Amino acid sequence: MVILNIDGIDCSYGSAKILDNVRFKVESGQFLGILGPNGSGKSTLIKSISRVLRPIKGTIFINESDIYKLKTLEVAKSLAVVPQDSPMTFDFTALEVVLMGRNPHLSKFGMESKEDLAIAKKSMQLTDTWHFADRPITELSGGERQRVIIARALTQEPKILLLDEPTNHLDICNQLEIMDLLKQLCKTKNLLIVGVFHDFNLAARYCDSLILLKDGKIVAVGEASQTLTSENVKKVFRVDAVVKKHPLTGSLYVTPISKPQNQKSRRTVVHIICGGGSGSSVMKLLADEGFTVTAGVLHLLDTDQETAQLLSITTVNEAPFSPITDEAHEANLKLAKKANVLVIAPTQFGAGNLRNLEVAQAALEKGVPTVILEDGPIEERDFSKGQAKKYLLKLKNEGAITIKSLTELLVFLNSIEEKTIQDKKGD
Amino acid sequence: MKTDTEHLKRVSHWKFYIIGLLLSFVVILFLSLNLGYSPIPYDDILTTLLKHIPLLNTFVENVEISKTAEIIITQIRLPRVLCGALVGSALATAGVIYQGIFRNPMADPYVIGASTGATVGSALVLVLGVGLSFFGVNTLQIFAFVGSLITVIFVYNISRVGSRVPVTTLLLVGIAVSLFLNAIVTYLQTIASDRILHGLTFWIIGSLAPTENWDKVWSILPFIVTGFIVSYLYSRNLNILALGEEQAQHLGVETEKVKMILIVTGALLTAAAVSISGLIGFVGLIIPHLTRVLIGPDHRILLPTAAIVGASFLMFCDALSRVVMGSGEAPVGIITALSGAPFFVYLLRRKKKGYSV
Repeated sequence: MVILNIDGIDCSYGSAKILDNVRFKVESGQFLGILGPNGSGKSTLIKSISRVLRPIKGTIFINESDIYKLKTLEVAKSLAVVPQDSPMTFDFTALEVVLMGRNPHLSKFGMESKEDLAIAKKSMQLTDTWHFADRPITELSGGERQRVIIARALTQEPKILLLDEPTNHLDICNQLEIMDLLKQLCKTKNLLIVGVFHDFNLAARYCDSLILLKDGKIVAVGEASQTLTSENVKKVFRVDAVVKKHPLTGSLYVTPISKPQNQKSRRTVVHIICGGGSGSSVMKLLADEGFTVTAGVLHLLDTDQETAQLLSITTVNEAPFSPITDEAHEANLKLAKKANVLVIAPTQFGAGNLRNLEVAQAALEKGVPTVILEDGPIEERDFSKGQAKKYLLKLKNEGAITIKSLTELLVFLNSIEEKTIQDKKGD
Repeated sequence: MKTDTEHLKRVSHWKFYIIGLLLSFVVILFLSLNLGYSPIPYDDILTTLLKHIPLLNTFVENVEISKTAEIIITQIRLPRVLCGALVGSALATAGVIYQGIFRNPMADPYVIGASTGATVGSALVLVLGVGLSFFGVNTLQIFAFVGSLITVIFVYNISRVGSRVPVTTLLLVGIAVSLFLNAIVTYLQTIASDRILHGLTFWIIGSLAPTENWDKVWSILPFIVTGFIVSYLYSRNLNILALGEEQAQHLGVETEKVKMILIVTGALLTAAAVSISGLIGFVGLIIPHLTRVLIGPDHRILLPTAAIVGASFLMFCDALSRVVMGSGEAPVGIITALSGAPFFVYLLRRKKKGYSV
C-alpha cells in the first residue's frame, strides 16, 4: 500500500508561479486524472512529483518519506514516469530501451540478468511491442515508441506511475488499448496512477477521480460526475460544453461548443420557432454572428431548449410533452412581436406546438418579416393532419419568404440589419 | 519467440568483438614498430619485445639482434607507438563521453573546443616558460586540463537551450570559441622565440614526434587509465542519458552529478592527450561513430571498443605520417584532419534518423 501525498506545494519557474498550494492524496489502486488547459500547471505538477522541479513550498510524500530527501535511485524503484514524448539520440533497440527500466534495480556494475529480461519481455507483451523488440527505437512510429516507453516504465516495476499526456501520439485504437491496460494494472497490481490528460472523455471514462487545474490552482476534485460539470468546464477551459452520460459506456462525455470567432454586436432581434433540434444550428449561427436571439415555445429537455440555454438565449418554456398553455403562448407572442425578424425552423408540427404557427401569423400581421426555413417537403414533418401545411401556405401567401440555406438566411438578415440601422438613424 | 535469444546473442558476442579488435590492435602495433625511417624486420621486433616480458624472455635468450634495432624499438618507436595508442584511445573515449552526455553525435573534443582549450593552456606554459614538474604532474598538464575544462563548460552552457543541446548551436559555439582560442594561440606564436616556435607549430597541428621517450608514456598513463575507469563506471548512465535528462532522472540517474563527473573526465582525457601530442583532431568524432555502427550504441561495450579502435586508428595514422613523406614526416594531425574533415561533412549530410542535425 502506497500513499502519495501532495502537501500544499508551490512551484515556479523564475518569478512566474506555476502551482499554487496544490494539495491532494492518492493511494494504491487509484487512477487519478488531472485536467486543465495549457499552462494550467499540469505538466509542472508531474515534474515536481517526479523530482525534476523542486517545489518552492510544501512537501511531496511517498508514504511518510519526503521524496526530495530520498536518493534519486530510491525514488526510481517505486515511481516511474511516462513523458509526453521521448527524443532518442542513438539507435538503441526497443528491447534495450525497455531494459533501461531495470536500472534502479541493478547493482552499479550489474548486467541485466535473465530475470530482468523476463520482466522486460512481459511488459513488452502487455503493451504489444514485443514483436518489434529488436528494431531500433529511432525507426519506430510515435505510437510504437510511446508504447515502448510505457513498457519501460512497467519494467521499472513501480508502485506509482505518473503519466504526462501518455496517449498524445497514439491513434484512437491504441489510446483505448493503453488506457484499458493501465486501468487493468491499476486494479490488478494495485498500481497508483496519476495522469495528465488533454481529453476530457478519455479521463472521465478511465479515471476514478479527477482534478481540474486552472492557473496552478485546484478548481475541483472528486469523481467525474462531481467535477466534470458544464459550469466547471466553462470555468476552467472557458468553453461552453454539454456534459452528458454516454448511453453505451455509462461514463460522462463532454462536447465542447466552439466559441464565436467575431462577436459583432447587431441590433436585429430574431425570434425563432423551432423544436426537436431543428433550430439548434440556426440559434448557434445567429448567436455567433451577434444577433439577439429569442425562441419559443420550447419544451423543457428538448434539444433546442438545451442549446438555447447553453447560448443564453431567452426562451419561453413549457413542461415536457405538454400542450402549450395560454400563458406560454402569450409570452411567446410578446417576444415574437418585439422581434425584427421571425424565423420558422424546419421542425415537426403536431397538436403540441401548432400554436407556435399562430404566433408567426400574428407577428407577420403586425409587420414582422417572417422567414420559413425549408429542408424538404412539409408533408414529411406535418403531424397535425395538414393544419401546419395550411398555416405555412397562408404565411407564404401573406408575404413570408422561403429560404433554403443558412447562408441565404444570413444574407437576408444582414439586409434587415442595415434597414434597422437606417430606421434608427432616421428616428 | 526468438527475440530474447537475439538480444542475449548480441551481448554474448561482445567478447568476440573485443578479442578481434585486440588482435587487430596487436597487428597494427607490430606494423607501426616496423615502419619508419629505417624499417626493422618483424622477427627483430618480436624478439626485442619478448626479451622485455618476464617468463617469455627465456625463449629468446640466445637470439641475436642488432643493438641499434633494439634501441630504436625500445627507446624510440615503442614509446611513440604506445603514446599514439594512449592518445588515440583517450580522444576516442572523450568523444564517446561527449556524444553521450550532449546526446549529440557531432560532439567531439576537437569540435566542441576541449582540445583547443587544452592547447591554449599548454601553449601558455610553453611560451611563458613556466614548465615545472612536481609529484610527477607538470604544469603543462595542469594548464591543459584547466583550459580544456573551462572551454567545455563554457561551450556547453552557451549552447544549451533549456535542457537540450541542439547540434547546430553546439557546433557554432564550438567553432566560435575555437576561433577565439586559436587567435590566442596565434598571438602566442608571434611572441614565441624561434626555439619554441618550431615545436609549437608542430604541436598545434598535432604530432606524435615529440613522444619518443618513455617519460611521456608515464606522464599521461595514470590520467588516461583513470579516465577509462571513471567513464566505464558511468557507462550504463550514459545509455540512459540517451533518453534525455529528465527521463534519465526518472530512471534513477543523478543527471547533474553524472554530467559534471563525465565532463571533467572528458576534459581530463583530452588534456592528457593534448599535453603530449598537441591538437590531433577528429579522432573523437570518427571512432565513436564507426564503433557504434559496428557494435551498437550500448556504452558498456562501446567505451572499451572505441578505446581499442581509437588506439589502433591513431597508431595507424602515425605510421602513415612517418612513411608518406619519405625522409621527413608529416604531423599526424594532418592525416587525421584529412580523413576526419570529409567524414564530418558526410555525417552532416547524412541526417540520420533520430539525429537532430
